[in-house]
Amino acid sequence: MAPDAEALFAAHQNRLFRYLCRAVGHADTARDLTQDVFVRVSRATIPAAADGEIRAWLFQIARNLALDHHRRHLRRPELSALTDAAARLPSQDVDVAVNEALAVLTDVDRDVFLMREVAGLGYEEIARACGLTPDAVRSRIHRARLQLRELLASPIATRRTIPMRHSGRQPSE
Amino acid sequence: MSDTYEVISAFLDDEPFEAARLTEALSEPGGRELLIDLLALRHLAQAELKDTPALQVEKPKRFALHALAAAAVFVAMVGGYLAGVQRSDMTMPVAPPATRIVQAPAAWQEVPPGRLP
Repeated sequence: MAPDAEALFAAHQNRLFRYLCRAVGHADTARDLTQDVFVRVSRATIPAAADGEIRAWLFQIARNLALDHHRRHLRRPELSALTDAAARLPSQDVDVAVNEALAVLTDVDRDVFLMREVAGLGYEEIARACGLTPDAVRSRIHRARLQLRELLASPIATRRTIPMRHSGRQPSE
Repeated sequence: MSDTYEVISAFLDDEPFEAARLTEALSEPGGRELLIDLLALRHLAQAELKDTPALQVEKPKRFALHALAAAAVFVAMVGGYLAGVQRSDMTMPVAPPATRIVQAPAAWQEVPPGRLP
């Protein structure tokens, strides 16, 4: 039986919000777009499919909304709502740097990277959401990582000095 | 095009990988550096978002809309009823007194209808 829109909302809102936050670079816009995803879901026929396929379907909707948002605003992710560099915390500087680096990537590379790293989707799910093959997802994620590694060399070097944990997929919600 | 170190990405992502290729990649200093850098990159990408307050997106307001519509109908019905009661209580308005009375002249003659001079 297909889940209803409210059940999907409860299960996936945080995941989608995290993805949209990085995809559009602004939390308020991401909140609006997350709402929009579920407005669309409530008007659509929810497919009776496995969890992974439903998740991919939701992210396909979210991705389309993010791309529409970029087209409407004729620009890449909003780099930051903060413009006063002196007033920013160091962590906010890193956040801005991450968003700036993401803005350099192609739309597809950015989306596959974010769906994996921020939303915790698997390659199969990302492939469905972005209309790619899993092999293409694998290559694009790796390519995006190499590019971001160069662009974020300094914050990465700083982050390496802090104890880390090998976290694979993110917890479901 | 497949990168020699692509297997490191697959390993990090908990996706299927060939152990021999991972061993080969991690046997090189460059591979080991990459593994650590990619872990750091993951932490950077997730850092601010973990600190973001819980999303306060309200659930679709289907119930709230229904309740609002029902309340509007109720208010309209009560308003209509009260307006009707108020109108039924009203007395018919009385015509105001005449401000001027015209006196008929002395030579006034009543002429039956249809017999005009």
